[in-house]
This record gives sequence, C-alpha cells and structure tokens, in this order.
Amino acid sequence: MRQKGTLGWLKHDVTHRGITAWLLTGALLAFYLVLYFTDWLTPIAKSLGLIHKWNLYGALYTLAIVTGGIYVIAKYRDNRYQVIRTSVVIFVQSTLAFSVPYVLELFNQPAVYLSYLWPLEISILYPKNLASAPVYFAVWAVVGSILIAPILGIFYGKRWYCSWVCGCGGLANTAGEPFRHLTPTSQGWWNFEKYAVHITLVLALLTTGLVGASYLIGPEQSPVLASYANSLQSWYGLLVVTILSGIVGVVLYPIGGTRVWCRNFCPMAAILGLVQKFGRFRIRVKDDMCISCGMCTTYCEMGIDVREYAQNNQDFTRAACVGCGLCEEVCPRGVLHLENEWDRDPQESLTMGALLEESYK
Amino acid sequence: MDYTIVGNGVAGIEAAFKIRERWGPEQASITVISDETDYFFSRTALMYAYMNKMRRRDLEPHDRQAYERQSIELVRDRVVDIDADDQSITLRDDGRRDFDRLLLAVGAKPRMIQWPGVDETDDGIVHLVSMQDLDECERLTWTTDEAVVVGGGLIGVELVECLRFHGVDVTFLVREPYFWPAGLHREEGEMIQQHIASHGVDVRMGEELAEVIPGSEGRVEAITTDTGEEIPCQMLGIAIGVTPRTDWLDSTTTPPSCGRGIHVDRSFQTDLDNVWAAGDCCEIDFGDETRVETIWYTAERHGRLAGLSMLGDDVTYDPPVFFNSSKFLDIEYTTVGTVADAPDGSKTLFRRMPDEEITQRIIVDEQDQVIGFNMLGSRWDHTILQQWIRERRPLDWVRDRLSNAQFDVEFGRVPLERMNEEIRRL
Ligand SMILES: Cc1cc2nc3c(=O)[nH]c(=O)nc-3n(C[C@H](O)[C@H](O)[C@H](O)COP(=O)(O)OP(=O)(O)OC[C@H]3O[C@@H](n4cnc5c(N)ncnc54)[C@H](O)[C@@H]3O)c2cc1C
Ligand code: SF4
Ligand code: SF4
Repeated sequence: MRQKGTLGWLKHDVTHRGITAWLLTGALLAFYLVLYFTDWLTPIAKSLGLIHKWNLYGALYTLAIVTGGIYVIAKYRDNRYQVIRTSVVIFVQSTLAFSVPYVLELFNQPAVYLSYLWPLEISILYPKNLASAPVYFAVWAVVGSILIAPILGIFYGKRWYCSWVCGCGGLANTAGEPFRHLTPTSQGWWNFEKYAVHITLVLALLTTGLVGASYLIGPEQSPVLASYANSLQSWYGLLVVTILSGIVGVVLYPIGGTRVWCRNFCPMAAILGLVQKFGRFRIRVKDDMCISCGMCTTYCEMGIDVREYAQNNQDFTRAACVGCGLCEEVCPRGVLHLENEWDRDPQESLTMGALLEESYK
Repeated sequence: MDYTIVGNGVAGIEAAFKIRERWGPEQASITVISDETDYFFSRTALMYAYMNKMRRRDLEPHDRQAYERQSIELVRDRVVDIDADDQSITLRDDGRRDFDRLLLAVGAKPRMIQWPGVDETDDGIVHLVSMQDLDECERLTWTTDEAVVVGGGLIGVELVECLRFHGVDVTFLVREPYFWPAGLHREEGEMIQQHIASHGVDVRMGEELAEVIPGSEGRVEAITTDTGEEIPCQMLGIAIGVTPRTDWLDSTTTPPSCGRGIHVDRSFQTDLDNVWAAGDCCEIDFGDETRVETIWYTAERHGRLAGLSMLGDDVTYDPPVFFNSSKFLDIEYTTVGTVADAPDGSKTLFRRMPDEEITQRIIVDEQDQVIGFNMLGSRWDHTILQQWIRERRPLDWVRDRLSNAQFDVEFGRVPLERMNEEIRRL
C-alpha cells in the first residue's frame, strides 16, 4: 500500500509505472531526441562556457550520478559495500568520465575516456582511432579491453566494471535507484535477454572485425569490404550506440527498470558475464535461512530470480549478475553474500554443455 | 493415488512438490485446497507489501506456471468436513471429494482475547497474519492517524514498523518488563526497546490493554490500559501470538485428536488413518515432550517430511539445532540453540559494541559447553554456530573463533575486537 497524501501518491505513481512515470519517460525521450538529433543544446552549452553540447550532457549526467549517489549512500549508509562502491562510481564518473576529458579538451588535447572500454565503446579499437589517439590511450584501449577487463572479471566478477566503473551502470545504481524493482523477471524477458545480448555481442565483434580488416587490407584493395564495413559501422553506431545505449537505456528507467541496456544489449556485459561464469565471483546462500519473502528478486535490477536460488540453498553465479549487491542488502535475513572464492559448492556444476544448453543462465 | 492437501502455505506446498518429485501425474494426482489465496504466497513478506516495498504478486515464491508444469491442482475453497472412515472431505462450495491420503497443513490463526469492549467493536481491530488481514489493515490505514499495537513479539514489531511507514502515531503496549523475554535477555530487550522508540514509537513496557472503546460508528475510538490511561486510536493491532488452527475440526465427522495442535507422531501422522498434519497446525509428540513449532523453517521442513511420509517412506522427524532469524526495524537478529530459557547455572558472555546497536550473547552450560547464541545488529552464518553447538565447544574456543562465523557484507565486517565483554552466571 502506498503512503498517504499527495507526496505518497507521487512517490508511488512515479515508481510504479503511473502517469507521472510515463510523463517522465516522455520528457527523457524528448531530451534525448533533442540532444542527439538537433543542435538546440549547443548555444546553451556555449553560454555556460562549455565547449560543445556533449560537455553539457556530460555535466548533467555527472550531476545525476552525484546526486543520486549521495542519496544511495545515505539510504544504505550501514552497508559498507554500497557506500564504498557508490563512492567509487561517483569518483570515476566525475573524473575519468567527465572532468579529465573536459580539461584535456580545454588544453586542446584529444579528449579520452579512460573508463569506457571495448566493446562497450567499440570505436576505441577501430584502427583509425587507435592510430590517431595518444599512444598511452591506444595502449590502454587495447590492453585494458582485451587483457585487464577479463582478468579482473575472472578475479572479481563482472561487477568490477559494471557496478564500480561503468557510467551506464553508475547511472542505473544512483539516479536509477527508485526504479530498480521494475525490471521484469518473467521467463519471456529472460528468453529475450538471452538472445538480444548475445546478438549485440556478435554484432559488436563483427563490426570491429570488419572495420579492422578493411583498414588493414586497405579500402582501395577491397572497396566492397570497405563499404560493408562503413555501413555496418554507421548502423552499429546509430542502432546500438545511439538508440539502445544512449536513448533506450535511460529513457526506459521509469517503465522498464534500470539496466535495460546493460541486461539486454550491452556487449561488454555479455563478455564479462561469460568470463564471470568461469571466475571466482559468486553469491553464497546461507543454508535454510531464506524465508522466501522475495525482496531479493524484486530488487534485482537484472531480473534474476534470486529467491529461487536462495530457497533451494543454492550458491550461484549468473552471467547476468552485475554484483550490485542490492539483493544482499535488502534481504531481511542476511541470507546472501557476494564473494570471490575459487572453491565452489558441489551443486554448481559448470560444464560447457550446461553453459550452451542454458546459454546465459 | 489421490493426494489431497488442505492449506497452500509453505508446509502444504513443500509436501506437494515432494510428492511430485517422486511420482508423475499418472501415479499421483495432487490437489491443494486453500480458502485464503489462489496461489501460495510468503506470509513472512506481508509487511513488505504493506510498506509498498513489494507488489502482491511479488510475494509468490513460485511462478504461477510452476503448478501447471508440476500438475498440481489448486482449488480455492474451504474444507468444512473430514470423514476419514469414508476417505472424503467436504468443501464449502464444491461439495464432497474423495482422497487416498490427506494432509492438513492449515497453519495457525492469531490468538485473541475477549477484552471488554471487543464484542461491541465492529471495525478497527486488526491482526497481521493472513492476506485478508493485510486487506483490512490497508483499508483502515487510509483513515488512521493513531494506532495501538498490543503484543511485544515478532509480528507486533512488524506491524509497528508498517504503521510508522504510513506516518501513523503508534503506541506499543508490551506486557513484559522488557522487550520479548521469550527470545531475548534483558540487555538486548532494552536495546530493541530503545531502537523501536527511536523510530518515533511510544513504547509502553509492562502495560496491558484493559478495555476497547468503540465510537458511535462501531469503529474503535480509543483503548484504556491497565494503568487506567485512555489512548485514542483508530486502529488496534493485536499481535499476541498465534495458535494452531484446530477449532474447526471439532465439528467434523471424524475429528483428529488435538491438544495445543493436531496431534502427530514423528512421521506427521495423525491418529486417523491416511491423514497427516504438518506446519504451524500440528503438535508433534517426541515421547518425552510435545512441540508446536510455528516458524517458517519448521513448517517448510515439516512439509517435506510429511510429503515423504505420505509416500510411504519411513520418516522420523529429528529437528536440527534450533535457529531462527528476524529483524527488529533496522536490527537484524540471528538466534541459534537455547538462549532465553537457558537452564540455571549456565554462563553467558555478553558482548556489545560501544555506541552501536550490535551485540552478541554466547551461552554455555555448567560443563562449559556452548548451547546458544543470540546475535543482534550484524550477520552470522548460523550453520557454523549450529556446528559448534553440536560439537559442544567451550566458551573460550568459541569466542576466539567467532569471526569465522561472521557473514557481514564485504568491507563491512564488524570489528569484533572492539567490543566490550561481560560474563555472568544465570
Ligand atoms: C506477519 C508474519 C510474519 C512472519 N515472519 C516469519 C519470519 O520472519 N520467520 C519465520 O520463521 N516465520 C515467520 N512467520 C511464521 C510463518 O509464516 C509460518 O510459520 C508459516 O507460514 C506456516 O506455514 P504453514 O504452511 O504451516 O501454514 P499457513 O501458511 O498458515 O497456511 C495455512 C493455509 O491453510 C488455509 N486453511 C486453513 N484452514 C483451511 C480450511 N479449512 N480449508 C481451506 N484452507 C484452509 C489457510 O487459509 C492458509 O492459507 C511469520 C508469520 C506472520 C503471520
Ligand atoms: S543478483 Fe544481486 S548482486 Fe546480482 S545483479 Fe541481482 S541484485 Fe545485483
Ligand atoms: S530476500 Fe533473503 S529471505 Fe527473502 S527471498 Fe531473498 S534470500 Fe530469501
């Protein structure tokens, strides 16, 4: 039952797909359409002394993460995992993802975003971009994306990136906090997610591969390949980067929950999820202590039915799990524990067959 | 074989799944009957629905198709008669039904006392046990500014928390001298009491409800306490415990033998042929004592064992070292073994974090063997504590290894070495 009074109505309405939630979604959509497809924000950015509209967007995005982050830290102040994790998210966003590139740009240096790795940001591995980027960034882009990210994923799970560093996850876990319970948990969504996220991954690999191959072979040598690579690159840019990660990912918060992008489309999440299955990260379940209340499932922003594992006394590592730790936080009986351990419960069998059969589960 | 189960709570549903695990739909048809809800829901989460943290549907532990997939027929009806000789039951709406094996998993109902004025009050007195209770609470909360909650137990605190969430001024009447002596020692009881008060609740220790005063419309308008004070309220929550639901059985054709609950042996069989009972409603005969267990964990365990017993397995209920958990507003609670009713001569080690609501109590018997733990304000792995009790570890041994059983979140491990300690003999 919602709280009484107008404020109670509003709080409920906006977080339970009411009219205000739809209005908010509409407003966000309008904002994003203006941002991506017009130049109307440029004069506003300039009048604020910013270089271009993307700085303005970055500033707003950072503001949302900082304010949302402060709210989250206050809300979960007794949970040090949440406090530390959220502080890191705020720090990374306001430095690596905002002020560092901004300052570089002010000094006429190329803006680099150290916290966005391939394949979330696939263009950083396009050979043309690698060639034109500062050497330190080119090295970081390659080593960070191909080596460091998966290795950290093996040791700490995909959470090190998805819930500690990434700006998409960062926004979801801060400003998105009031909407996290809206993530659908149904079997149908699970089926969709399983295909969608891997299709985007394949697209990302294909695009990177084609663009790379075309560069290496040289467009003159193979104009057909070059034109395929070009059109794939721009299609991927429009569909995946702009529409799915830029627009849909945020616009749907009030309707579909946070992490719509992360869960269903993010290629980085897909790779790190598979890595996670073979790594140390898992959620441990305290035997027999679950009261099946369902708080964990309700508040899992990835739509994982955590209760199903908990009530069966089953430790688990789901590829989708971003290790936000909210299931652990909201569980009134302290049943769940995020941890990095090599030994696994004998119940958790992980064979290649099982992995393919269940795919992502 | 037709398996009929009355009650779709955790005991009934666990039994149904257990039976289905063994027999497919050709060998066994399984029917679960309940008059409360269409689908099994988690009673323990009623408070979260009340506090807008979960939608009603989120309370259901299994997705609705699971019953279809498992070919478990769900019937929404009330069982009004049992004829064990004839192997049939009678439903209020749907008439007679035959069974081969019957499980009574009918749960418990709120305890109630007929205080003066209760009979004249038509509206405003609530419990928080069933889904219908939740409906009532929600309906009344819209027009409630002040409420009184009677009964300092686990459900009482939950009701208080819910009412505070809705901005209602709450007076909490607790009969005992400190909070919940049934589970806590004085130090912890007083800490919880202060914690509840810090949430803006008027906690009255040692005070009882004396009379209910209805208004002209029949809805409760005020109550008086045994000190004679009158406290205005538009809602009166009664949470003074639950009792096994046995009363309706008296008028059936073949009533099973009942005491505090439906009598069962350690394989959950009642004295009637082909009739079992499990969960909150049963009273289990262990030979030297009988027990009524009314918590989720026991109901779940009963249900599974009763299911096996109905399949013909040789079942002997052998309860593990007792454990339970709860949450008093923000303070998490884990208990293992024997604590509040520890025998005289036991020794207790009480540990408290300075300036924080974190305590631990370890109890050893006269032979210095650990028998119980009460842990508040931080998380513990009860399975390790249970193991130490089974292994009869001495106090110093346990105290030195306490950190092995901590279950706090990463980075959040409570620094046990900073706690104050005090040893006392009971
Ligand atoms: C608010 C609340 C919070 C709780 N929190 C906790 C907790 O945190 N931890 C814990 O361990 N325990 C907790 N409990 C206790 C726990 O919920 C119960 O022990 C458990 O649900 C009992 O399950 P059961 O299957 O025996 O009975 P129930 O869940 O009571 O199910 C019995 C069902 O049978 C139906 N029924 C009864 N008679 C008939 C009939 N004649 N015909 C048809 N249907 C009938 C009833 O309507 C009911 O639906 C809590 C209880 C409440 C009320
Ligand atoms: S399972 Fe828990 S940690 Fe993982 S994404 Fe869901 S809520 Fe976060
Ligand atoms: S929140 Fe905790 S107690 Fe509730 S269903 Fe999840 S694991 Fe079980």
